[in-house]
Amino acid sequence: MHTMECPTHEHVSRRALLKNTLATAGGGALMNWGSLFNSKATAAEVKKNQKRCILLWMNGGASQFETFDMKIGRPTGGLFREISTNVPGTRVCELMPTIAQNMDKLAVIRSMKTSQIDHPGGIHLMHTGYSQASGIRFPEIGGVIAKYLGSEGSDLPNFIKIFSHGNTGAGFLGPKYQPFSLSPEGRLPSFSTSNLNPVNESRRNALRTFVEDSYASGHKAETARMHREAYDASRRLQNVQGVFKIDGEWDKYRDLYGDSAFGRRCLMARRLIEEGVPFVEVGQSSYDSHADNFVWHRGLLPPMERAWAGLMIDLEQRGLLENTLVVWMGEIGRTPNVNNRSGRDHYVRSWSTALAGCGVKGGLVYGESDENGVDVKDNPVSEGDFFATIYKALGIDPETEHYTGVRPIPIAPFGSKVVNDVLL
Amino acid sequence: MSSSKNLSTSKLVPQKILLVGVVAIFLSANLSFSEDRLRDVIDGHVESAWKTNKLPPLAQSSDGEFARRVYLDLLGVIPNYAEIVAFLDDKSDDKREKLVDKLLNDPRFAGHQAEVWDQVLFGRNPPGYGTDKRSGFQTWLRERFKENTPYDQWVKSILRAEGNTVDDGAPMFFVQYKNKPEDATEAVTQKFLGVQLQCARCHDHPFEPWTQLDFYGTAAFLARLQVVEAGKKNKLPMYVIGEKNLGDVLFTGPVTEQEVGKKGEAVKPKFLQGDPLEEPELPKDFKEDRNFPNGKVPPKPKFSRKDQLAEWIARADNPYFSRAVANRIWAQFMGRGIVHPVDNMSESNEPSHPELLDALAAAMIEHKFDLKWYIRELVNSQSYQLVGSGELEDALPKWFERARTRPLSAEELLDSWNVAVGYEAIQKASGAKPSEDRYAPLGSGYLMQFFGKPNNGVGDFQGGLHEHLYLNNGGIARLLSSAKGGLYDSLVNSEAPWEERVDKLYLSLLSRRPTTEERETFVAFLSDEKDPRTRVGEAIWVLMTCSEFRFNH
Repeated sequence: MHTMECPTHEHVSRRALLKNTLATAGGGALMNWGSLFNSKATAAEVKKNQKRCILLWMNGGASQFETFDMKIGRPTGGLFREISTNVPGTRVCELMPTIAQNMDKLAVIRSMKTSQIDHPGGIHLMHTGYSQASGIRFPEIGGVIAKYLGSEGSDLPNFIKIFSHGNTGAGFLGPKYQPFSLSPEGRLPSFSTSNLNPVNESRRNALRTFVEDSYASGHKAETARMHREAYDASRRLQNVQGVFKIDGEWDKYRDLYGDSAFGRRCLMARRLIEEGVPFVEVGQSSYDSHADNFVWHRGLLPPMERAWAGLMIDLEQRGLLENTLVVWMGEIGRTPNVNNRSGRDHYVRSWSTALAGCGVKGGLVYGESDENGVDVKDNPVSEGDFFATIYKALGIDPETEHYTGVRPIPIAPFGSKVVNDVLL
Repeated sequence: MSSSKNLSTSKLVPQKILLVGVVAIFLSANLSFSEDRLRDVIDGHVESAWKTNKLPPLAQSSDGEFARRVYLDLLGVIPNYAEIVAFLDDKSDDKREKLVDKLLNDPRFAGHQAEVWDQVLFGRNPPGYGTDKRSGFQTWLRERFKENTPYDQWVKSILRAEGNTVDDGAPMFFVQYKNKPEDATEAVTQKFLGVQLQCARCHDHPFEPWTQLDFYGTAAFLARLQVVEAGKKNKLPMYVIGEKNLGDVLFTGPVTEQEVGKKGEAVKPKFLQGDPLEEPELPKDFKEDRNFPNGKVPPKPKFSRKDQLAEWIARADNPYFSRAVANRIWAQFMGRGIVHPVDNMSESNEPSHPELLDALAAAMIEHKFDLKWYIRELVNSQSYQLVGSGELEDALPKWFERARTRPLSAEELLDSWNVAVGYEAIQKASGAKPSEDRYAPLGSGYLMQFFGKPNNGVGDFQGGLHEHLYLNNGGIARLLSSAKGGLYDSLVNSEAPWEERVDKLYLSLLSRRPTTEERETFVAFLSDEKDPRTRVGEAIWVLMTCSEFRFNH
């Protein structure tokens, strides 16, 4: 693909370029790996917006009945009370007082209806928009965002997870968009830090560069190029190790985010976003409350909601919220019925997610479940619709296609509909 | 560069003219094309596709380039210093063919091919309980390659699930799909027939001829399988595959029209795009025990649907079977399938060289699925032995107009590092007992994390940032041992001029001698300091981690 060198992509519309992918589809799976004219040009066009995304991942599946879709007085309602919020008429669970005071920033979707009811399937689904299929490795949303919103040659990786869930990674997008995962405590992964004397490291690097250059002068295969680029990225990471050290800043922000592990993760996410990382996922685990649902939610929700609200306030104060999409979701919801162990099991016929920032209409509740929360009454939102909405908010065309072999795979599944009502 | 010098004696162009001549003689003598050597048939088709696509002919690989490629492809490891020097210094004309014969008879051949197929059949993260510990299967598969058991026969054993998982291994394949006949159907058709039915699981396939009834008709053959625990052996749970007399898959129509509580209809077994299975009726009053007892080998059913499927799949005249394996092994050595990807042979995914694929499949049948013969022909072809360098960016060229660039697997990397640094010699010199760990000394944990799982399943190169962090920041320090017997020790404690030592370094790691510029650069780097110890370690590290080492090209 020699056309990738061509600078004319500035003048070509994205639609035309996407059509171009059809003509070159025979090129095979490798063509998606950041080397293709169309992909690169699309990326360049989208990147101007400087949009970012933080995904708050509620692993195990938080209960809609204990958060945003309480059924007070109904047989399916739980033990907690409802409180009012700063949006008249909207009420949420008493375990989320800080979020209640920031509801004007949130668009809550109370009508999620998705297709995978167990954890592995759900985690895959809600990270990629697709159900697992043998032979196809779908990219996670972080990989897609890294590709279209990330910057080439940045010191920091473009796809970072803190307390990672899901292992699909960049899928067929290739190694450049693989996630870089920090531990739940925010520690860097093993082997991230060079312990070599810098003199030796740079001497060794000079010799290695000579070897790589002489190989590259005769061998142009793109896999080898990716290997070289990844090596460069591994060295650049040494320049920014300070970004991951948040102790000093944590002292100042502990009150805003709340003194919790999840709060620290959220502060880390804000720092990374501020440094230009386009996608950060922050995990909290585990909401899988088959027993003692109320005890678990009483423990997990307060630190989570405090940090979530703190994060939105912090982003807003820095002028980052209007370009940073904050997504709140897990892989599944929980059953209307409380089982005989005071638990709620897996449920996907009707559950809740939330969005904030980046062109999302705040203070809005979209969709409705029926009176017992058994099924969606109004405006069902599928996983595909949800992903299409996220991509649209971020300025990425949800119909953007990649190819595995000859099969076109749009970043949001065929037929997905953007929920335009939640966008400004 | 390795490719720019020392072209082998067999230049392509004269060979091509010769080939055309040979074909003409055969044709005029009224002999069938198939009596030609398969290697020549391959080259004829590949070259004619170059012509059609106006691609210039390419030079052949250098000897060092070829040796490294064929060692890795046949044995899964680079040649050691003595082996590569012996090959490079061999002056005979037929030394490549002799090397191929030698490697095909090397015990490591069976081991490596078995590891390749183990990945095809299981992958890095196989489903099913206990399938990650499958040494029984792996040993069994290695024996198949050692004995060169015809492919159709060992596939039949896997599908008939003969024996137990510890002694015979074969039944382990179905343990992956315990109680999931639909998953087993997807896997069996994809791995052995090269077709993807998974779309037809939920709806008739939008682009292909497969219907949902094709899918469930195939699944019906496997609906009665049960994974039965038959005691323990060698501390491992031992499984056998049992099969019941009753049991059906139920078909409920397109998934979008599904309703809660709607029960489907039983589907009768039907061969893919073929006839329904004729099966004897069971007596009207037949009753079956609900479950097979654990710890015992279950009785055979009166009529085995699974065996009928196994026989049909592995029949020579099965339109899918021979093409699928011919194409899959072609891709293993040539980088991409003639149909690519190899497990998606369908009308919408046309072969790049349809006549060649026909010829390969016919040869596979004619030679009774003799894989060793087939592999020998592939690697002896000129098409396999092309240069690996060039301007083309595609790692797996569609017209085979350059050797493919493929990443080494985790096992190939480890074994090659070990051979290069003399790990075995170090162990011997230290008097330590040889480790029983397949992944010594780096350990399977890190190897799988950084080099194994990122390449799982589809085979795309996923080596990104993380593998370099591992390589840069101490992960492979154990291989840089200065102990007696190893490469490091032999370079540091040698009296030879640095030029010779740099040659040894290059031959040990990259299976070739350095260019003049490379030799000068390395000599300058190594002889610059009074104490060269650190620099020798750094130079070894550089060649262990460079792209030329990381890929087979």
